[in-house]
Amino acid sequence: MLDTVVTVLTTGLTNGALYALATIGLSLVWGSMGMFNMAHGAMLALGGYLTFTVCTQLGLPLPVAVIAAVAGGALFGVLLYLVVVQRLLARSTEHFETSVMIATAGISIALEEALLVAFGGQPLKQPFTVSGNLHLGQSVVPLLDLADVVIALIVMGLTYWFLSGTKMGRAIRATAQNRDAAVLMGVPVQRIFLQALAISGALAGICGVLMSSVTQLTPWFGDDPMLKAFIMCVVAGLGNLPGAIAASFCLAIIEAAVEFLAGARWGFPALLFIVIAILIWRPAGLFGRSQIRRL
Amino acid sequence: MDNRRGLLKRSAGVGAASIGLLAGINKASAADAGKPIPVGSALPLSGIAAADGVEYRNGLTLAAEEINAAGGILGRPIQLHIEDTGNMGPVLTTQAMQRLIDRYNVPAIINGYNDATNMAEMDTAADADIIFSHYNTLLSANTKFNSNPKKYYGCFQGCPPEYYYGVGLLVYLKTLMDEKRWTPANRKIAIIPSSVEYAIVIANAIRDKAKDFGWEVSLFETVPFPNNQWGPTLAKIRQDTPGVIAVTHPLPQDLAQFALQFTPQPTNSLLYMQYGPSLPAFRQIGGKATTGVIYSTLIGCVPDEFSEQFRHDYTQKFGPNSTYLTGSQTYDALWKWALSAAIAGGPGEPYQKAQAQKIAQVMRQLVYRGTSGTSRVDPDGQSAYCYPTQTPDPSLGMPHQFLQVQDATKTPALIAPDLYAQAKFVTPPWMS
Repeated sequence: MLDTVVTVLTTGLTNGALYALATIGLSLVWGSMGMFNMAHGAMLALGGYLTFTVCTQLGLPLPVAVIAAVAGGALFGVLLYLVVVQRLLARSTEHFETSVMIATAGISIALEEALLVAFGGQPLKQPFTVSGNLHLGQSVVPLLDLADVVIALIVMGLTYWFLSGTKMGRAIRATAQNRDAAVLMGVPVQRIFLQALAISGALAGICGVLMSSVTQLTPWFGDDPMLKAFIMCVVAGLGNLPGAIAASFCLAIIEAAVEFLAGARWGFPALLFIVIAILIWRPAGLFGRSQIRRL
Repeated sequence: MDNRRGLLKRSAGVGAASIGLLAGINKASAADAGKPIPVGSALPLSGIAAADGVEYRNGLTLAAEEINAAGGILGRPIQLHIEDTGNMGPVLTTQAMQRLIDRYNVPAIINGYNDATNMAEMDTAADADIIFSHYNTLLSANTKFNSNPKKYYGCFQGCPPEYYYGVGLLVYLKTLMDEKRWTPANRKIAIIPSSVEYAIVIANAIRDKAKDFGWEVSLFETVPFPNNQWGPTLAKIRQDTPGVIAVTHPLPQDLAQFALQFTPQPTNSLLYMQYGPSLPAFRQIGGKATTGVIYSTLIGCVPDEFSEQFRHDYTQKFGPNSTYLTGSQTYDALWKWALSAAIAGGPGEPYQKAQAQKIAQVMRQLVYRGTSGTSRVDPDGQSAYCYPTQTPDPSLGMPHQFLQVQDATKTPALIAPDLYAQAKFVTPPWMS
C-alpha cells in the first residue's frame, strides 16, 4: 500500500512541479498584459531543443546548454514582443486580447514546424538527465523526478523573489494590478511588457528542459503541458502566481490519484470537470478577484 | 568491378525478381514509350507524423528510381507527385488525394499511413477508379472493403490489419511455452492500450482471445494518447503481478518511458510492446531499460539476405539516421503496383474503370515477395495475409515479426517466426 501511495505522490509532485513552472510563465504574461500566449507550448519545445543542440550537437557542457535554453527562451520572448505584440498593442488595445491569441497561435505553428524542419519528427533524447533511484523501503523514487522537482522549486523561488523583492518585479506586479494607475505613477508599461515576455520565455526555456527530461523531445511536446497549464491558470484565477503554483500541485496530485483509482484515462477528464465546477462556483477562479467591465 | 559486384549482389536480392519480371514485360511492349506515368502519394510530411512521412517518401523515391532504371512500366518512367497531409485526418488526407487526381491525373496513389481518417480515402479512390494502396494497418479498412467490394475493388491494405498483433501475440506466447523456452509466473495478462482506435483494436483482440489460450485478463487499463507518466498504471500492475504485460500504445518515446519507469521496480512479467520499439527513438530514449523488451511488427523490412541490398541502398541514399523499416513499405507497394500495371497492359488513367479493374485483379493474384516478406491479398478485406496467424505457409503470408532488445546498443534481434529468426528468445534481465 505504501509503495502505491509513494508512486502516486511521486507522479503527482513531479507533474505538479512541471505544470507549475509552465503555469507561472503563462500566468505572468496574462496577469501583466492580458495576453494569453498560445506559443508558450512551442517555447517549451524551443528550450528543450536548445539544450539538445548545445549539449549533444555542439558538445558543450550541460550547464552551458541549460543556460542557453534559458537565454534562448528569453530572447524569443523579446522578439515576440518586438515583432508581434508591440505592433498589435499599437494598432488596437481594445481587441488586443483576441488578436494576440490568434497571432501567437500562428507563431506556435510556425515555430513547431521550424523545429520539425531543423530536427526532424523522430523523438530525441534530452541530454539533461539524472540516473539512479532513491529506495524508500519497498518504494522506488527516480532521482530524475526528484531533481526536476527541486530545480522547479528553486526556479519558482527565484521568480517569487524577483517579483516581490526587486524594483522591476514590483513594477510588473503594479502593472498587473492596475495598468492605468501604473502608467500614471510613471511605470514604463511598454518596457514592463517586454520584460514580462522575456521572463516568461526564460521560464519556458528551463521548463522545456525539465519537461522533456521526463518525456521526450518532439516539436509538439509542449502542447499538452500548455493545455494543462492553462487549466491550472483558470482554476487559480488568471494572473495569480501563488495561486497558480498551489493549483498546479493540487490538481496534479488529484490527476495522479484519479488515474490510479478510476483508471488512467479519467485523469484529464477529472481536471476538466474540476475546472467547470470551479468556474460555476467562482467565475474568477479560486484565488482570482472578480472584475467588472463596463461595455 | 564494384558495379559488377553490385549487380551480382542485386541479382540475389530483393530487386532481382521484380526487375527481371519487369524487364521481360517491357520487352513485349513499347507503346507510349517515354511518356511519364504520374503516381501520387498523400503523406504526412509536416505535423506529428512527419518523420514517418519522410521515410515513406524515401521508399517511393528509391523504388521509382529502380523501376525507371529497369525501363519503367512498358517503357514509360514513373513520375512521383507527393502531397502533404499535415496532421492527417479525413479532410486533409482526402483533399490531398483529390488534388493528386485532379492536377496530375494519377492512376494510382501509394500512401503510407494517415491517422484518424475513418478510411475516407477509400471513397476518394473508388470515386475516381484509381488504385489505392496504403499501410493504415486498420481492421476498419477491411470492414469498409467488405461493405462494398465492387466499389472499393481498387483499394488495398499492404499489410495485415492491426487485429493480428493481438492474436499473433497469444500465438507466440503459446509457442514459447510449448517449446519450454519460457514459463510464465502465472496465467494473468495485463493489457495497456491508449485511447486510439489502433491500440484499442489490438488490446480488444488480446482480451477477446485470451481465454482461448488459457490467459486471464487481470488488468485492462486504457491510458491517454500520448502518455509519458506511467506511475499510476505501474502501481496497479505491481498490486497484482501478471505473467505478461502487453502495452499496445504505439508511440516509441512513451514506450521508452514505460520501460524506464518499470525497470527500477519490475514485476516478474514478460513485457511486450507493439511496433513502437521498432523505431530508433525507443532505444535512444530508453537506453538500458529497454533490454529484454519484446515487440512485434506486422509490416517492415525483414532483416534477411533478401533485403540486404535494399537496406544498403536506402541507408546510402538517405543517410544513417533514416529508417528503412518504414520506407520499405511504400517501396514494396510501388514495386507491386508497377508489376501489376505492366502485366495488365498499362497503368490507365483516373475514371478508366476497366483498366483499373484489370490491375486490381492482377494485384489480387500476384504473390509478391518484397522486403517485408510475402504480400498476398486476403480477399476478405483486401489486406495482406498474416503468417503464421492466418496462414501456416510462409510463402503465402507476411511474417508477423517478433523482436527482442537483447542489447540496447545494438539492433534488436528477430526471434520469431522461427523461419526468419536470427536469435533465440532471452529471458529479460529483470526476470532472471
